[in-house]
Amino acid sequence: MLYALEARHAPVVSLWVWYHVGGRNEVPGTTGMSHFLEHMLFKGTQKHPKGDLDRLLARYGAQWNAFTSEDVTCYFETVPKAHYKTALELESDRMRNALISLEETEAERTVIVSEREGYENDPSFLLGEELQAIAFSRHTYGQGVIGSKDEIKLMTRDGLYAHYRRFYAPNNAYVVVTGDDEPERLIEEAAAAFGPLDPSTDLGEPPKAPEPEQHGERRVTVHRAGGTLPIVMLAFRAPRATDPRAAAISALTVALAGTSTGSDGASGRSSRLHRALVETGLAADVDASFQLMKDPYLFFVDATLRPGIKHADVERVLLEELAKLSQDLLAEAEFARVRRQLLAATAFNTDTITWRSYRCGQLLSTGAANSISEWYAKLAAVTREEIRDAAAGLFVERSRNVGHFVPEGDAS
Amino acid sequence: MNRVHRSTLANGLRLAVVPIADLRSTSVLLAVEAGQWFEPAGRPGIARLVAQTMLRGTKRRDAASWASALDDLGAVARLDAGAHAAVFSAQCLGDDLGALLALMAEAVRTPALADAEIEFVRGQTLAQLEKDERDTRAVSDRAWRQLVYPAGHPFHAPAIGDPAVVRSATADEIRAYHQRAIAPDGAVLIVAGGTTPEAAKKAAEDALGDWPKRAKGRDADHPPVTLASTKRRVELVPDKTQSDVIIGWPGLPRTDPRFTAVRVTNMVYAADTFASRAGNVIRDQLGLAYYVFSGIGASCGQSPWIVRMGVNPQNVHRAIEVALDELRKITVGQIADDDIALAKDKLVGELDVALESPAGVAAMVLEAEMFDLGDDHFERYPRELRAVTKDQVVETARTFLPPDRYALAVAGPALPEALV
Repeated sequence: MLYALEARHAPVVSLWVWYHVGGRNEVPGTTGMSHFLEHMLFKGTQKHPKGDLDRLLARYGAQWNAFTSEDVTCYFETVPKAHYKTALELESDRMRNALISLEETEAERTVIVSEREGYENDPSFLLGEELQAIAFSRHTYGQGVIGSKDEIKLMTRDGLYAHYRRFYAPNNAYVVVTGDDEPERLIEEAAAAFGPLDPSTDLGEPPKAPEPEQHGERRVTVHRAGGTLPIVMLAFRAPRATDPRAAAISALTVALAGTSTGSDGASGRSSRLHRALVETGLAADVDASFQLMKDPYLFFVDATLRPGIKHADVERVLLEELAKLSQDLLAEAEFARVRRQLLAATAFNTDTITWRSYRCGQLLSTGAANSISEWYAKLAAVTREEIRDAAAGLFVERSRNVGHFVPEGDAS
Repeated sequence: MNRVHRSTLANGLRLAVVPIADLRSTSVLLAVEAGQWFEPAGRPGIARLVAQTMLRGTKRRDAASWASALDDLGAVARLDAGAHAAVFSAQCLGDDLGALLALMAEAVRTPALADAEIEFVRGQTLAQLEKDERDTRAVSDRAWRQLVYPAGHPFHAPAIGDPAVVRSATADEIRAYHQRAIAPDGAVLIVAGGTTPEAAKKAAEDALGDWPKRAKGRDADHPPVTLASTKRRVELVPDKTQSDVIIGWPGLPRTDPRFTAVRVTNMVYAADTFASRAGNVIRDQLGLAYYVFSGIGASCGQSPWIVRMGVNPQNVHRAIEVALDELRKITVGQIADDDIALAKDKLVGELDVALESPAGVAAMVLEAEMFDLGDDHFERYPRELRAVTKDQVVETARTFLPPDRYALAVAGPALPEALV
């Protein structure tokens, strides 16, 4: 599928290719394969040997990267518009022609291990990974994305190549482009680049492993030495992006934690959790997040504790605040503020061409909306009652998962 | 780049406005010369404490009311103390520019700096410092600065400061710093996005036009910093998986005419994990690290010029050797012509790509205005980048990045062998 948006305020084009493959398409033992494969897409094709793509895009001053999530693998480049065709040529070439050699697979393995080791230095990553794992008993969302270090070490070239040939094809991709040209022309050029590619013949059915209903709270504690600050993280079962409640849950996130993160920022300080936890000296930082996902996923709430504060005290206040939102309507003034923040944040993000393209691709690939304007309209139509009802549906004890990060004494 | 509309208010505040058609939002940057460079000697962290406390209530309304007013606009904002300036940065809807600047002006000009709010910021800062002590990136940064800059130098500690200073800072000290450093002369206001030059100027005049001018002391003179020999420090951070490595040198002021050649040299050497030599060898050829990049700060002093890598402890020694080996090659002229052409192309191309966002435009204009790079900077700069020669790159590396005299800081798990 091809989709184009016009953005005339800068002489650039942002091209995004979304593949419907990610952590959800993997089985135990090969978890992390989609992410590993993402790295291998930078290792060359017959036509563009290793290093060619990096140097070409660097030469244009491009902003470019890739990421893998539970649902998708995504590649993008924002380039001066004169180089749009080259970007298309590079992306269409590697859609079907990546080499994925044995030698490069071995060389990249240690890079991916290094990426994982970097994440492991962060207590929030460690706790989030454990919490995600206990929140799902059947669905592959519980596996995360990057895979364990052992799985990364066991990944084979042939396995990667089969995964590639199966999932990297025009019939399993969205191409979204935003830039300084007429949408028809942007699409026409994209069609010329991707149209001739052969489709995958063994895509099969999307993975189906419905997560059964959760019937009780689950808890996990992660202990690490080193004396960093304790963390409380909650994860509640949340609906998929196509659910009618998705827009209201996005508004709920803003009511809880505002639209910007980081305790040293000035915005978001009127939010419920900031007032209840940061302003009272219980937490150094708080956050709430809801991602648009293909299948039901999680609504996260987390707090980094001030030194000397107990996990139980923060968890109690967090739950009290969630309960209030489940029971009472937001006051009119608070609702107006939340709505304004939500809609303004949409404008902020989409005023950058790269992120306008990303947002559009995210909405399309998850089915949340058919366009940014449709999603904006959904957000604008959210009512106070819908926010309260969404909170009541989410924040229930039996579908709650609780994680504590407990720093321990200096192991040295 | 769209036209930059420049003007100066009666109190000396410089204003630069870049209207960008079709955008709903506007980015705002107010930079006041109140960063680390202007901190009282030996008091690292004061600038940030002041900046953070300025966001916690004004003489007109308390912290909660000011925060609600900001959120009522749907705006996002923060105030950071950097190496050179304290920068209030924000994004708002275009129609709200006047209201945002009014809120900003209130916080900057008439903050309450109340005792309770100072204590709140102190508590938050100490919590962050405690967290940083077990963060390998933060520890390596702190250790590296201590190796390079003498005690009392503004860059001896990171902007968040020294825990002893944060604990001991008095309310009087914080108020005095605000009184002395937060003033319109030397300050720059940048507005980029969905606005007009007239609307932005009116909003700026209304909010900041009567901000009284003050004669600011300009006693921030510091002796040059040099590395007479290689210095190394390894800091153990328990229960971590990866080591953070910094190799670096004291840099040079942004106003130095050699800075353009510095940017090209930096790109040739290590600025980009994929396009630069160090990353190409360390990540792409040898698989030793996920990220390798370098950078040099823009300030009126010798900001750090550093290479950063995240490396498994087993590979730390080798990654450092390779990084230095790539640097040695540059200092003896072993550079492919295409490496230099690539670096220049990338730096010039990035100027175009940065135009995609109001924040990107505002950041470029801020650097030009803050360091008086000239009204024609955006016309000259691409040409100046293109004009940098291989000889200049070699000379820059020899002068500023001697591979036999560097400062090395490693933070993370125990290393298998001592670094010599």
